[in-house]
Amino acid sequence: MATFTSSAPTQRPLTSQEYRYRQAETGELVGQAIFTALVVVLFFELGVVLFKVLGPLIQSSPRFWGSDLKVDETLTRALANALTLLAPFAAYVTCGARLRELAAFDRRRAVRVALAATIIVYVLVTMGQYVFQVGPFAEKPSLEMSFRQTDEGVLVTGVVPGGTADRAGIKAGDLIVAIGRAPTTADELKEKIALAKFESKIGLRVSRDGQEELMPVEVVPVMEIGLAPLVGGLILALILAVIALFWPGGLTPYVLMVVIMIPLLVGYLWLIVATFSYRTEGLLPVDASGNFGGFTLRNWEFLTRPGTSSYPSIWRITLNTLVIASLMAIIVLTVSSMAGYALSRMNFPGRRAFLSLTLILHGFPAVTLLIAIFFILRNIGKVPVLGDYFGFNTRGGIALVMVAFEMPLGVWLMKGFFDNIPWDMERSALIDGASRWRTFWEILLPQIRPGILALGTFAFISGWGAYLIPQTYSVGTRTATLAVYITQLTGDTAPVNWNEVAAVGLYQMIPVFIIFIFAQEYLLNIYAGGTKGTS
Amino acid sequence: MKIVLENLTKKFGTVVGVDDISLTIEDGEFVAFLGPSGCGKTTTLLMIAGIYRPTAGIIRFDDRVINQVPPRDRNIGMVFQSYALYPHMTVFGNIAYPLKLKKVPKEEQAERVREVAAKMGIANLLDRRPAQLSGGQQQRVALGRALVKQPDVLLFDEPLSNLDARLRLSMRGEIRHLQKELGITAVYVTHDQVEAMTMADRIAVMNLGKLQAFDTPDDLYDRPKTLFIAGFVGNPPMNFLEVEVQREGDTFYAVNSALRVPVPAERGEAAARHGGQVIMGIRPEDITISETGTVRGEVFVVEPLGRDDLLDVHLDAANRLSVLADPAVHLRAGDTVTLALDTRKVQFFDPQTELSLLWR
Amino acid sequence: MASAASSASAIARSRSQAMRARLTAYGFLAPAGFLVLVFFFIPMLLILFLSITNLATTNFTTDVWRMATSRDPKYIVGLDNFERMFADEFAPKILFNTLFYVLATLLLFNVGLGLVIALLTAHVDRRAGFLFRALWILPRITSPAVYILMWKRIVAASPFGILNQFNELLGRPEANYFQGEAWVFIVMLNGFIGASFGMIIFTSAIESIPKDLMNASLVDGSTIMQRVRYVILPLLRWPLLFVTTYQTLSLLTSFEYILLFNSGGPASQTEVWSLAAYNRALNTYFANAQWGYGSAFAVVLVIIGVVMATVYMRVFRFNELVAEPKIEVL
Ligand SMILES: Nc1ncnc2c1ncn2[C@@H]1O[C@H](COP(=O)(O)OP(=O)(O)OP(=O)(O)O)[C@@H](O)[C@H]1O
Ligand SMILES: [Mg+2]
Repeated sequence: MATFTSSAPTQRPLTSQEYRYRQAETGELVGQAIFTALVVVLFFELGVVLFKVLGPLIQSSPRFWGSDLKVDETLTRALANALTLLAPFAAYVTCGARLRELAAFDRRRAVRVALAATIIVYVLVTMGQYVFQVGPFAEKPSLEMSFRQTDEGVLVTGVVPGGTADRAGIKAGDLIVAIGRAPTTADELKEKIALAKFESKIGLRVSRDGQEELMPVEVVPVMEIGLAPLVGGLILALILAVIALFWPGGLTPYVLMVVIMIPLLVGYLWLIVATFSYRTEGLLPVDASGNFGGFTLRNWEFLTRPGTSSYPSIWRITLNTLVIASLMAIIVLTVSSMAGYALSRMNFPGRRAFLSLTLILHGFPAVTLLIAIFFILRNIGKVPVLGDYFGFNTRGGIALVMVAFEMPLGVWLMKGFFDNIPWDMERSALIDGASRWRTFWEILLPQIRPGILALGTFAFISGWGAYLIPQTYSVGTRTATLAVYITQLTGDTAPVNWNEVAAVGLYQMIPVFIIFIFAQEYLLNIYAGGTKGTS
Repeated sequence: MKIVLENLTKKFGTVVGVDDISLTIEDGEFVAFLGPSGCGKTTTLLMIAGIYRPTAGIIRFDDRVINQVPPRDRNIGMVFQSYALYPHMTVFGNIAYPLKLKKVPKEEQAERVREVAAKMGIANLLDRRPAQLSGGQQQRVALGRALVKQPDVLLFDEPLSNLDARLRLSMRGEIRHLQKELGITAVYVTHDQVEAMTMADRIAVMNLGKLQAFDTPDDLYDRPKTLFIAGFVGNPPMNFLEVEVQREGDTFYAVNSALRVPVPAERGEAAARHGGQVIMGIRPEDITISETGTVRGEVFVVEPLGRDDLLDVHLDAANRLSVLADPAVHLRAGDTVTLALDTRKVQFFDPQTELSLLWR
Repeated sequence: MASAASSASAIARSRSQAMRARLTAYGFLAPAGFLVLVFFFIPMLLILFLSITNLATTNFTTDVWRMATSRDPKYIVGLDNFERMFADEFAPKILFNTLFYVLATLLLFNVGLGLVIALLTAHVDRRAGFLFRALWILPRITSPAVYILMWKRIVAASPFGILNQFNELLGRPEANYFQGEAWVFIVMLNGFIGASFGMIIFTSAIESIPKDLMNASLVDGSTIMQRVRYVILPLLRWPLLFVTTYQTLSLLTSFEYILLFNSGGPASQTEVWSLAAYNRALNTYFANAQWGYGSAFAVVLVIIGVVMATVYMRVFRFNELVAEPKIEVL
């Protein structure tokens, strides 16, 4: 984020006065560097402390928290690693735009300041990591011996005197043939140690002078400080700092954006690959024998498959989804705009109460009522006629529940949009001879077109992707939406063709994606009326 | 249509928007509501239109009490300051809308719209949307929309304040002309007194929600009934001096520390009868700079107005006068002048009640 | 006087007038009111009632009324469910999980990442911004089953897992992400969905910042960083508050992705409160759906929801919203 600076370096010669002014800044820059670094480091180390100190505290009071609460070590480690990588960025944030300005006319000095700042930050970070024993200083499970793979087995090349292996009786030159009964290799042993818990024991079958013996070795925590990762990290940080210094500012948002999106891009890349192949291993499509290849269109055959009683054709399901989503969008729009209009523009007893109710419901998590609504729908189902359309396991009932959940947000947004229409417009319509209904319909609704489009898009998208409610309130595939249909594809006894599931998923996504691309402009209007009334 | 307001009052919570107004607007009359910002002009108008419900009091159209009649049954036309055109309709759609609501047949609608449009000089704009019109054109469309349904009453809420000076001048004439031609009762809200003076048959001056005066423009100017009216009507505003009116034989003199001027006998007598300690009002145009003047003062500020210079002349510490002077004379701050006061139109007010002592 | 008579009739008419005006207003509100009644108000009462019953698959009935009026101890068990809930050995763990899950996802993703995306996309080419945002909306529109399938493939074991394929390439040992890093991925996969809500609101807010303000700051020669710091962020105060409060509640009750990912994990490792309610009451997977017991879990959420929503109303300065309408008649 810090790398947003865009102004192109100006290449004109500096006046001596300007130069002196810049010169005075060096000390300030380094000072800034130290200060920011401290703040950054403090901030992140605080997170670590939280896990390192609070974790055991919580663990030590099992009565309150339950017995087997385990604080996640991986998080601690991930945080610590992030710290080291953050160092150059911290340095950059520190000197920020002014350093880049400096770089425009005095490269050498700018580089020097950047490097100095980076080193300071790095040292501080490393010190912090040392204090809390994380990152490169984290304690790792170890047997305190070194070994390598040979043809006969795993050869122990050395043991730490007095260490755990030594105590267990292992000597350099021993041959490890198995862990317990299972024959092993050096790689497997390494992995086994890495995953072992402290104070647990690994039983090594050691062959010495032709004799085999089982030696249980305790796993102990050892802080291995490799110089290589530390120095390597520093060099990387320095390089990054210099790159950041001369980085064209306009590019940064793009690069950052793409970096943040990597998990998404990878995931959806897989999805696309998967739909066109028999199987995938990682991101690679493979054929039956596990070799690269195996492209196929059979996953898309669902498009032409005729419906059966348990699996209706995809087109029926699509129609279902379309009906539910459109129905929902239309009802949400109708209900919300009517209520929004009354709340924004009419005076009646109970207005305040209803307004505060909407506001509360707007924030109220409707999903918590899922259980109770099950009973409501069941009971509506018992009502003659009405029950056939709005009861449990009907399209109407499902749409209605979704409308109810979407409505508070809708009313709120619509009220905001109505609030913004000049009063004179409506007064004028009333004087011209319109009733409130006609004013609403003929004069005001056209004015809030952006709001209608925004809410409509919003509602349609959420209706199209609806999963939880149709899933909960329907049985079988009669009223299934695409999302439910997909879930049912995955939940059957027959072997699931995951690649076909992926294909249906992609198929379901495409229309909404296209709608979103076109409707984004409208959707982005949401704030214009919606949440602004409050600021 | 005659409009009668009886003790009309409007409160917004604790704020009093309109306070106990009573007046009668005759059929075909053009009445202007004039007053400073926030005095309740719009509120009164909206009550007549039926948008606001009066807190107390009665509104009659002719003899009918219409307090509870919804706006659409009052047959009024209104022109708003913001024009309030419907942006999603064409000019034709806008003007035709009141007719459409009255379920007038399509052909007749078109005919009447075209007729009105021709009268307003916007016949060539009928297919455009409001956003594609200039301010003046929008103004005409709004007027057309108000007229097309042949209303009994026309209401205007500062309709000209968004126009440039020149257009405002010509629209004034046009509106006035139309109103007289059609003979529709009109209520016209403005805070521009020139507009009110030139257009209205009678002017209702309001202040702080109260009706201050309801009179013809000439009466307001020459016979203000209160100090407020005297100060409010006329530009530059009337000068006020605290004086004592003394009788010397048949002549009455207004006297204070800075001046001693004779005043007309009948006016002076009314003031003297009141005890003598009064506020005297004299308009700047009744004061001239002349060698023969009897009042001396020092020029403090010179404000060039174009045709005249407006001088702020200090007579002494307590008394000052606004005076109009010929720019050619080149008076500057610090100059000493002698002033001649033409006291034929001088006004006298009671300092306590602020009521005029002359016209009751 | 004539006016006295007519004012009397005026008052009579005024009653019917006011009535009609009210009826119009209620007419506009009726559909919304109906939905509120049927899907919020009654369910809320219902869930309170269910939580004192032991309704389950074994004694299932939908006739709530009969159940309530019968006072049959076969159904009505008083506060037993709550006692059982507080005694549940997993309850504290689930509570802690919920807290962690909501806070981590909210701060890192729903607000944090949402804001970052909004700011980033506001500073790239307009078309590119549109594309990026469209891509970010993908998680929200992907069917949950497929979305989860995707993440499962990312973390799966060899040979299917994408991460493990990278591990293999880098020569690192295979990792079991379902065990160790389950939380990391649950937070991430929920966060990637949640971020788009903040993104839309924030972008919309940034776009509605008057251009004059931006230009003024551009003329002042500010850097992008300074504009973000001094122009954009202060104006984003309300949207930030809004997204934070709104999303806290959404997260508190969102469980479908955890349900699909690992159903709360072995021994409630990653089970959150709302999932617990669902698992106990509605999930037929556990053969015996315990409606009563599940409702007790839900009641806790309803209470939290009402409390938070009330706070939310304070935050939004309700009183400023209820300006009187400026038309007083029909
Ligand atoms: N809807 C309302 N709610 C509360 N107070 C109002 C409302 N409308 C008007 N007021 C108050 O009533 C008083 C009169 O307002 P009104 O709009 O009639 O003034 P005005 O004479 O039209 O002023 P201007 O020349 O500025 O248009 C003002 O003090 C105003 O603040
Ligand atoms: Mg006004």
